[in-house]
Amino acid sequence: MDAKSRILSRIRHALKERPKALLPEHPHPALSQDPLEFFLKRLAENGAEGHLVDKEGARKLLADLAQGLPGAAYGKGVPDALRLLPELPPEEAPLGVSRALFAVAETGTVALSSEDGRKAQLLPPVHLVLVEEEKVYPSLLEAFLDLKSLPSAIGLHSGPSKSADIGQVMVRGVHGPGRLVVAVLQGTW
Amino acid sequence: MQVKAKLYPKEAARLLREHPGVREAVTGATLHFEEGRKRAYQEIDAEAWRERAKRVKDHLLTHLDHYLELAEKRLQEKGVQVHWAEDPEEAHRILREIVARHGVKRVVKAKSMLTEELGVNPLLESLGVEVYETDLGEYLIQLLGEPPSHIVGPAIHLALPDIQRLFHQRFGTPLDASPEALAAVARKVLREAFLTADLGISGANFLVAETGTLALMENEGNIRLSTSLPRVHVAFVGIEKLLPRFADLALFLPLTARAATGQRLSTYVSLIQGPAKEGEEGPKEVHVVLVDHGRTSLLHDPEAWEVLRCLRCGACLNACPVYRQTGGHPYGYVYSGPIGAVLDPGLLGLEDTYPLPYASTLCGACYEACPVKIPIPKLLLTWRQRAVERGLVPTWEKGAMQAFSKVMQSPSLYRLFSKALRGLPLPQDLLPLLKAWTEGRGPLRPSPKPFHELWQELNKE
Repeated sequence: MDAKSRILSRIRHALKERPKALLPEHPHPALSQDPLEFFLKRLAENGAEGHLVDKEGARKLLADLAQGLPGAAYGKGVPDALRLLPELPPEEAPLGVSRALFAVAETGTVALSSEDGRKAQLLPPVHLVLVEEEKVYPSLLEAFLDLKSLPSAIGLHSGPSKSADIGQVMVRGVHGPGRLVVAVLQGTW
Repeated sequence: MQVKAKLYPKEAARLLREHPGVREAVTGATLHFEEGRKRAYQEIDAEAWRERAKRVKDHLLTHLDHYLELAEKRLQEKGVQVHWAEDPEEAHRILREIVARHGVKRVVKAKSMLTEELGVNPLLESLGVEVYETDLGEYLIQLLGEPPSHIVGPAIHLALPDIQRLFHQRFGTPLDASPEALAAVARKVLREAFLTADLGISGANFLVAETGTLALMENEGNIRLSTSLPRVHVAFVGIEKLLPRFADLALFLPLTARAATGQRLSTYVSLIQGPAKEGEEGPKEVHVVLVDHGRTSLLHDPEAWEVLRCLRCGACLNACPVYRQTGGHPYGYVYSGPIGAVLDPGLLGLEDTYPLPYASTLCGACYEACPVKIPIPKLLLTWRQRAVERGLVPTWEKGAMQAFSKVMQSPSLYRLFSKALRGLPLPQDLLPLLKAWTEGRGPLRPSPKPFHELWQELNKE
């Protein structure tokens, strides 16, 4: 017998007399308050910055962030209209821009797909994430139940990288970006 | 990992004598975690969340064979290579083969208690592979050559001056360098490691059977980097870490974060379905090693099997007044505190761990904190009872407890003994129980009058 068969046979032996426990249903999601406002509030509580912007506002936000920077790293889904800076490799870029798969209000989270990229989400010290307003879910459960297909990897980001491992003092930007800016895009794109 | 749990009482006393600063550092850090957890539980219907999580895990564990086979099938469909390991030796063989096949020279590691169990770092070092622990706290204790002291905060026993001294010796930073400056030094070393490593190694918080999703929680970004940059990713997963459905993560991710650190969700969660597709960034090869290492024998235990619900959040450590005095090192194994005291005997056998169930006041704070309602106080008693039955406790203890019971049940005997103990000089060095007490403290000085006399006098006034 190989390791798999031995482990499974020990499990079946162990469970022979054990009553089977039922799997509870998922709870009904709570009635949603305005998810956009809630999302921005939670982002701020997580130490991230959230902005509700239209097309013009997004360009202005990006121009502000881009001031004095030589370039940026982009996720595949970032529209050309928002690629204001020359593209740099993520290893060198002072700014990463990505487009989120969805966002979650209750936890202040943006969900980033490996289809958009990975390095631009992690290596630059500042990370700007674009997400369309209709993709902001009130709760994690609603977002997960609605997911139709899963990419190779999803990263849920809920604020800047942080650690309190050195003497219990909170430090930002330990490995990932020390600054997370989220632009919720309103209108058509 | 070498098991030194038998030495618990001696090691705890020694640590308190020789490193008094540890108590202060651990108490400070755990109370901070504990306050955060309480605040985070108050914000939700914690009882309902905990009950639901308990039921999902009980369902999973009572159908474990089914869900393991489903998880393997889903992982393989997505191109993940699945391995099974009964013990550390088998896990080593699997890892050795992967290292040899890819000519691995450098490894970046995400914090994982299971890889501590398996002794992954010593193995890799013996193969001439450079290993970088990339969680900041884990990196600190790797530099010091110490095991983790806490499941979530491996370096909580270190105070800022300890770390300033360490970095001064290693990297020449000034002795008064700020935490920001120290973190920047570590970031630079580890960024280089991320960009040049051939292999990333991680554990997993959860493995979803329905979709074959590995879920990993963290705050620094080192796990996302370890599982994204190297061309190969190996995840070691305990067989009890499964969840039935993808949407169960909507309960378990935030519940774990609230219990562990008081957050609504950890800053980063990686949900990994498989290797990168053509033209995508990410590892070209993903391996999952499903590890038993004592878990099936725990599942067989009619009482202690409930411990397998454990999410490794560390909430019971933070709540425990005994753990707070020393941190995790004296417990002598990967898992310390209340959960270690009930998990370690189940994983390793009671013979090698029997002092651990006694490392508790049975106050019950661990149960209140536990996000999956593991009846830790009840199980501590179960293990103690078994230790007595198997003759693992000293023989004098049984006689002493019988005598104590007799005296406590008779008011006249109680008065007699209480008077005698106060009148005579205590044979402090002879009685083993008293000796254990006085070794680290001053001699016992009984009050000149017993409480019941003081009480009577007070009532007369």
